[in-house]
Amino acid sequence: MQRGHNSRYSLGYPMILLPGLILALELSETNDEVLVRALQRRESQAMADSYDRFGRVVFSVVLGVVRDRVIAEDLTQETFLRAWNRAAGFDAVKGALGPWLLAIARNRAIDHVRSVSGRMDRNSFEFDAREHPSLFVDMEREVINKDHARVLRGAMAKLNQNHRQVIELAYYEGLSQSEMAERLSQPLGTIKTWVRAALKTLRDEIGQELAA
Amino acid sequence: MTCEELRPEYDAYALGIAEDPERGELDAHLARRCDACSRGIAQARSTVAALSGIVESVAPPSGLRRRVLAMVAQDAPAREQKWSLPAWLPWATSVAFAVALAVVVTRPASVAPVNPDVAKLEQALSILNDPVTQDVSFGEPTARGRVFVSPSRGIVFIAAHLPKLDPGKTFQMWVIPAKGNPISAGTFVSAADASAIHLRPGPVTGAAAVAVTVEPAGGSMQPTSTPFIVTKL
Repeated sequence: MQRGHNSRYSLGYPMILLPGLILALELSETNDEVLVRALQRRESQAMADSYDRFGRVVFSVVLGVVRDRVIAEDLTQETFLRAWNRAAGFDAVKGALGPWLLAIARNRAIDHVRSVSGRMDRNSFEFDAREHPSLFVDMEREVINKDHARVLRGAMAKLNQNHRQVIELAYYEGLSQSEMAERLSQPLGTIKTWVRAALKTLRDEIGQELAA
Repeated sequence: MTCEELRPEYDAYALGIAEDPERGELDAHLARRCDACSRGIAQARSTVAALSGIVESVAPPSGLRRRVLAMVAQDAPAREQKWSLPAWLPWATSVAFAVALAVVVTRPASVAPVNPDVAKLEQALSILNDPVTQDVSFGEPTARGRVFVSPSRGIVFIAAHLPKLDPGKTFQMWVIPAKGNPISAGTFVSAADASAIHLRPGPVTGAAAVAVTVEPAGGSMQPTSTPFIVTKL
């Protein structure tokens, strides 16, 4: 939803007017463009709003990967700091802030798991390039919400065990398809087929939800 | 490879699990702004973002919000400093105290000309205060800590639970460039509680990672052991 003003930030109406109501309204209405522009102006209120909107899902994703609350806190903090320091490269009009934050978060978490398990490889250094803010444009922004999460969990439950397993290995551990083939003692071609089929099923479910 | 051949790989690529040659081919297509692959990868990235829905939703601890905001408050425009001051003050104070303490612990035996502890503290705070300083945490099995890297001012390394050094050994920090050999960033030892703070002032150019190895006392020209800490920037 496009807003006609950006009052939470530097040009707005006085916050002394019903501050609680204004706060509630604006938290719900602040869109990516307004938020990103404020981040680019390095307004700390924008970071507060970003955290309020995405802090829980970022923390949940990191925790789901690293399984350690202390490390998850550090990596969540690092995620938001990275976004703060790199927001200048983000396309405020076309960019999708949530997916970008989640990509940073998951990359940090998987990097951590890889470093602990001694699986540092060239993938790790390439993650940085693949979370560049300029890449997160022209995406569906509304994919991160409770309704879609519910749909997705339902779809995951319907996947057969092989398909569910490769999605979990990919998402939580960042295993390459070759690593999954070795872990599951399956041919690489079979793993690729499972990954494609599983993701297609999930995407179709999400797509139906978005179209509904 | 053609876009049609690469299309089945879009999801794996967005998920970070694709491998060469498809991964390299997709990198090349995106680098030359291939329309079909850019659209396909954007859709795949949406799918990957949506996959966050499979994760159990867990509320972060209440103090985490304050920590996140404290990290950025010092860098916010001046007009915001008045109300943000209370949030970052405790953090900055604790870091300053920790750095001051470590400077005392790790200062060299030789006598520097003028107040070296204050000079080091100022250098460390200068690095922490640089708006573009990267702050990266690490949590290896044998150590936990953070690295602050300012491209123009230097590196502050803070760690706890460091491994015990054998006699005649020292820790050595390295700046790992994207290409080329590691560059020594100085040696240090841990305090009695296995913690350490190490300062390496001066510009840091082209760093891809900061690493720490165990080396013979006095340090080495190049690492002689496998790094037990590797913190990518």
